[in-house]
Amino acid sequence: MSDPVTTSFDLECRNVRKNFAAFTAVNDVSFQIPQGSFFSILGPSGCGKTTLLRMLAGFQQPDAGDILIKGRSVLDTPPNKRPVNMVFQHLALFPNMTVAENVAYGLRRRKAPRHEIETAVKDMLARVGLPDSGGKRIDQLSGGQKQRIAIARCLVLRPDVLLLDEPLGALDLKLREQMKVELKHLQEKFGTTFVYITHDQSEALVMSDHIAVMNKGRFEQVGTPQELYYQPDTAFVASFVGDSNCWRGTLVSRDSEGAAIRTASGLQFRVEGALENLQQGQEAQVYLRPEAVKIELASASSHGDAGAGRGGENCFSGVVDAVLFDGARSQVQVSLDHSSESISVALPQTPMFHNIGKGQRVLLSWAAGQCSCFPV
Amino acid sequence: MKPQHFKFGLALLLTPILLWLTLLIALPHVDMAMISLRERVSAGTYAFSWSNYTAFFTEPLYWRTFMRTAVMSIMATALTLLIAFPISFYIAKVARGRLRPLLFLLCLVPFWVSELVRTYGWMILLRETGVLSSLLQWLGWVDGPVEMLYQDATIMVGLVYTSMLFMVVPLVSTLDSLDDSLIEAAYDLGASHWRVMRDVVIPHAAPGIVSGCIVVFMLTLGNYLTPTLLGGKDSLWFTEQIYTQFITRFNWEQGSAFGILLLILSSLIVWIGLRLSRQSFTKVMS
Amino acid sequence: MLASIPSSRYFRGAYHAYVAAFFVYLAAPLTVVAVFAFNDSLFPAMPWKGATLGWFLGEKSPQLGIFHDTELLESILVSLQVAVCTTVVSLALATCNAFLFERHDFPGKNLLYVLMLTPLVIPGVILGVSVLVFSSSIANWVEETFSYDLEALRPGLVLVVIGQFAFITTIATLVISARLRKFDVSLEEAALNLGASHFDVLRTITLPFLKPALVGAGIVSFLMSFENFNTTLMLVGSDAPLTIAMFDRLREGSTPVLNAVSLLLMAGSGGLAALSIFVRRKDE
Repeated sequence: MSDPVTTSFDLECRNVRKNFAAFTAVNDVSFQIPQGSFFSILGPSGCGKTTLLRMLAGFQQPDAGDILIKGRSVLDTPPNKRPVNMVFQHLALFPNMTVAENVAYGLRRRKAPRHEIETAVKDMLARVGLPDSGGKRIDQLSGGQKQRIAIARCLVLRPDVLLLDEPLGALDLKLREQMKVELKHLQEKFGTTFVYITHDQSEALVMSDHIAVMNKGRFEQVGTPQELYYQPDTAFVASFVGDSNCWRGTLVSRDSEGAAIRTASGLQFRVEGALENLQQGQEAQVYLRPEAVKIELASASSHGDAGAGRGGENCFSGVVDAVLFDGARSQVQVSLDHSSESISVALPQTPMFHNIGKGQRVLLSWAAGQCSCFPV
Repeated sequence: MKPQHFKFGLALLLTPILLWLTLLIALPHVDMAMISLRERVSAGTYAFSWSNYTAFFTEPLYWRTFMRTAVMSIMATALTLLIAFPISFYIAKVARGRLRPLLFLLCLVPFWVSELVRTYGWMILLRETGVLSSLLQWLGWVDGPVEMLYQDATIMVGLVYTSMLFMVVPLVSTLDSLDDSLIEAAYDLGASHWRVMRDVVIPHAAPGIVSGCIVVFMLTLGNYLTPTLLGGKDSLWFTEQIYTQFITRFNWEQGSAFGILLLILSSLIVWIGLRLSRQSFTKVMS
Repeated sequence: MLASIPSSRYFRGAYHAYVAAFFVYLAAPLTVVAVFAFNDSLFPAMPWKGATLGWFLGEKSPQLGIFHDTELLESILVSLQVAVCTTVVSLALATCNAFLFERHDFPGKNLLYVLMLTPLVIPGVILGVSVLVFSSSIANWVEETFSYDLEALRPGLVLVVIGQFAFITTIATLVISARLRKFDVSLEEAALNLGASHFDVLRTITLPFLKPALVGAGIVSFLMSFENFNTTLMLVGSDAPLTIAMFDRLREGSTPVLNAVSLLLMAGSGGLAALSIFVRRKDE
């Protein structure tokens, strides 16, 4: 990331660590979040992301390291004095209060004058698009409305950082898609720094400016959504972000631009790109996105000349094993000739493929640079 | 939350409960045990002695009353369970819609009223000049007034009545948590009504049955009002002996010994009940 | 069996008849008590001699109504005092206990929880007797050592409150704990996160959530205290609470004024029961 002297960071963690008995939940995590950005921490459940977020909010104390907000350490600041607010996983809206009382709660605790509170609440409700809901009870709101009130309740306090703990998890799929867009808009409108944790890669990819992929208490990679997707640093990132075909094979030969990998079942293909960590004869893990594979229909008789490495292009023939129709995300599974490997390929949305079925012969090809290789 | 704050809060919360349990529960019973083990030598001087306990075993009236109380309490508990189980099943599984909460409420209502009032009601019903006696005469089934008070069966009716709530509530709540589809599945797999009861319903209701039985047994054993009023002078209930020793004869040493014996009996039977049904005390009581 | 499972018509008929008979059995004693409150006879027994309100309003013996029976009226007052004191003290300790068991972990927690439950399995008479014995021991010791008679620890209303408190607290603790267990701790964290102090959190979030349980536990405690007989009998002094006064009258043989008191008791407890159900409903 950029130089800390020239950029102002809203939030910074330095070598933060947290242990629970013998278990290390957060292991030596450092990161910096520039002002006004949408930062996501993406990881499977149990990776330590919730613990990290709770340390930022002050509900847990790190065993080592430092947390700085706007350049000031907040380790000695109790949670009710920290300039961060949090949207809880199940929102934690107070059921015994109205919508307006929920939004006003933080201002009341600051002992703000009554008329100021009233205007601030009214203004905030209007900005989140619920101007007439002030008098409603919480259980009269829909899931998406609750979501917006939970955010409004925090933003009305003008926090330096807003923490969001998987707030979309409880929503159904349609609403979740809609809320992703809405959250991004809200963040841009208010310009507040959002720290968003989730196990759903699509939420992170759609909304974030930067994403940290977390696994077993450590950050595996921090970068833009595109960087994570196209240039994963580790095998974990490659497999966790997006769908991939994954093979395990041995590096059989290498040259100046790339190398050839052969799997146990005899599939051999060429890879190019970052291979510095790989030696001849070493085991490697290879990932290939389904949409990176070009697919063509072939006639029943033609046996494509399977081969790797012609001009950096891998070409194979095979037979369709199964069609997994899912609209725009449809895939076919193809078993390759001359090996027992099978591969998932994204189905192009052209009329040519509308009637593809089991047993159809196809030709597959992908550029050698599309594969990501990692030593095992 | 700072750890030292937390410790301070813990100490603040622990103090009252420890005071309560030591001063009002533990020490009084220890003191009672100690008093039961002494004998008055002369005014104001006491000596250690087992005499209060030997008196219990040598005086037939005492231990017969004791055994009688225990046996009748067990019988009352069993009877309450037998009567309450079909009712609880009806409320939890058969009744539908608004009838359900209504019936449950009807079961609760009598127990919002003092036990004294309930027992008084039974006296009016069962005495020689009572409602039932008059009814029987009016029907021509009997020639003269019938005295139904002061009999063991009457005591039993009163005890079962008084205990009913404490059996119905835990039974209904455990039966309520039994998924109907489990019953249907057992039936679907070919079990008879009786097998379904034995294999599915009763095992599921076991915690409720045990907790109901423990509470009912304990309440019955320690009951004073119902046996005294419905059984009259000859009810021979052990709590009456305790009352007599303490209040009438002012023989606290003997009374304490009786109290300890009753406590041992009740703990023993509760323990055996838990052991036989393999339930834990904490799970059953809360 | 379930409605979805077929069973014979006779079985169903018998089952329904049994349930009906059960509810007649439940209702019978209370009904006769209520009905005989209006019998114009000196004895709460058959035959029926016509209706009267005398057992409520009658001004002089032999038909002295409850509203003019100073002895019973005073005992009601005594019971009220005892019940209010017991309820307040039990609720206070029970709330502490609920927080202790639901929010804290400490060595020996399970053992303490079991000890907390024991008052439920100690027969009321024995609990009363043990408190009587222990308090007398303390009072005797104080008298011998300081030549001062500690009046409060002799049989009397203070001792009655102490004895009832000893076991009612357990019941109140169970009621309040059950509610506190359902509380979502993230609500408290959210309040802290929005800048509330710990005291604010308790006042604005936790206690409002516990309110239905506090009201419910309060009503149960009040009724249990008001109607308690076994423990009270052992600890009572010269001032008799209502149950003791009624018991004495019952043994001597009384006029239907007792039915009138009982009817008032039923109305009172019924009202409180309805209130507690209403509070629970509203909360859901």
